Amino acid sequence: MGCMISKQFKRIPGYEDPTLLASETSFSLNEVEALYELFKKLSHSIFKDGLIHKEEFQLALFRNSTRKNLFADRIFDLFDLKRNGVIEFGEFVRSLSVFHPDTPKSDKINFAFRLYDLRNTGFIEREELKEMVLAILNESDIILSDDMVESIVDKTFQQADSKGDGRIDLDEWKDFASQNPALLKNMTLPYLKDITTAFPSFVMRSEIEDDSL
Amino acid sequence: MGFEMTVGKYHLGQTIGEGMFAKVKLAVNVETNKKVAIKIIDKAMVRQKNLMDQVVREISSMKILHHPNIVRIYEVFATRTKIYLVMEYVSGGQLSDKLYYLEKLNEVVARKYFQQLIDAVDYCHGRQIYHRDLKPENLLLDNNGNLKLSDFGLSILQKPSKLLLTSCGSPSYVAPEVVIMHRSYDGAAADIWSCGVILFEMLSGYLPFEDRNQINLFRKISRADYTFPEWFTSPQKRLMSRILNPMPTKRATITEILSDSWFRVDYKPSFGLEDETCTNSEEANSNLRESYLENGNPEQFINAFQLIAMSSELDLSGLFEDEKKTKLGSKHPINETLEKIKVAAQGVSLSFKKTNTSTVKLHNNPKLRRSRSNLTLSAEVKKITVST
Repeated sequence: MGCMISKQFKRIPGYEDPTLLASETSFSLNEVEALYELFKKLSHSIFKDGLIHKEEFQLALFRNSTRKNLFADRIFDLFDLKRNGVIEFGEFVRSLSVFHPDTPKSDKINFAFRLYDLRNTGFIEREELKEMVLAILNESDIILSDDMVESIVDKTFQQADSKGDGRIDLDEWKDFASQNPALLKNMTLPYLKDITTAFPSFVMRSEIEDDSL
Repeated sequence: MGFEMTVGKYHLGQTIGEGMFAKVKLAVNVETNKKVAIKIIDKAMVRQKNLMDQVVREISSMKILHHPNIVRIYEVFATRTKIYLVMEYVSGGQLSDKLYYLEKLNEVVARKYFQQLIDAVDYCHGRQIYHRDLKPENLLLDNNGNLKLSDFGLSILQKPSKLLLTSCGSPSYVAPEVVIMHRSYDGAAADIWSCGVILFEMLSGYLPFEDRNQINLFRKISRADYTFPEWFTSPQKRLMSRILNPMPTKRATITEILSDSWFRVDYKPSFGLEDETCTNSEEANSNLRESYLENGNPEQFINAFQLIAMSSELDLSGLFEDEKKTKLGSKHPINETLEKIKVAAQGVSLSFKKTNTSTVKLHNNPKLRRSRSNLTLSAEVKKITVST
């Protein structure tokens, strides 16, 4: 079954068997194949080497390959599981799976924690939170005084930092996020449920055996 | 009834339609118990006829069309040899069968179907989708007397101003310019012609152009050589002769049909659906929105993580679609901000509808709806911090 690998799949660096990816993620085999159509599009937008480079990622997210952004950087780094500066197909599927509507909430909570722990210290620190708030206000052209920003960060810490040690650890984050589902809004991409109709060209290329649907 | 096969979460049942390289089967979603129609396409045939792009296009067209009079597509599966399109099941069969049994329809029923057909076609054209194969076999009827347009196998996504370059369609319903020129034609005018032939057939019980000899048939079509049955009323004749004009540029446009006096009797326009309750993703989206709103009254303080979660900076949906999202800051309280949006919307003739205390939808005003674009904007106003 897994031996039915098409030629175009084989040539891709970092290619992985869709059957394996489907078994490890929230995606079905066809959805993995449809994601491959998206992956091809993204990974050929600038460098055409079948790997998603940061510029290509920014181009897809912002229609602009040079736009620097704190969060795009963070997401890119988390998607780049092997930490080699590019996103391979397997990394792409595994990481996007976190955002699937059917993925358990605990996976989303963990991913969000790693995302917000900007300096990978195992804690979300006050400075990190402030940096993120400023980045968002800045990108959205919303101007708030420094006092206001401080007060937003303070209040947030009052709510989330239950041990009161000035930093949010994973347990505190789990409690806080479980109580506030709105915090995980950005951890679910409803589009992932429509991936087969959104990238229908996979239908002609599908290599799935007839009896394995 | 036994099920022969299972595809994903669907049990396949009996065959309800059969075409050149596809079969349509009734199926049941085992999770929801809902009936769907699954079109099963043979990939070898598609390859042989070189119709790969058309199949992909059919899926793309159906995906973007959300209209009560157009069959919806839910999901797509594929294997090495087959493609499965999971679509809305329409229980009442094809209009062609109804015409076969009843011969002709009474004016009230025919008009209602025609109005719904025109609404559906208008909606497609607004998205540059031309069906190009409109005929009673492709018009399905539900049990509430509504018509639904299906089978976009031949429709083509066309950029405005470009004319269509391929010839296709079913001879009796095809417009003269499609028959004759074999070159480029305006997809919108050609679809309108087919609607006119369908209306003629519904009211008369027979086709306006018929001949066993294809050459003669084409000659009749290109000259718009037809005769009205004696029972056609003059308002019916007037509308039909405006539509069945062999000159595509002189033919009635949808705007003209919509203002025709016969057409307007009991006309209840059907619009494209609002995005809630549309596709899987949009359903999920609105569920998400609900859970989100339960969580907070918009006047309440937003904590920093909530602000981050709402931010478009972290919104990966850009990877999947082209919809634009923008965030703007306002110094005014929620109600004043909404009021400002309302004033701006009225300035450009968009309707303003509050969907709850903090979100609004802006839409082309249905009363002034004849602009070509179907525009929908939505805005959500959130309080970031306590004003000082």
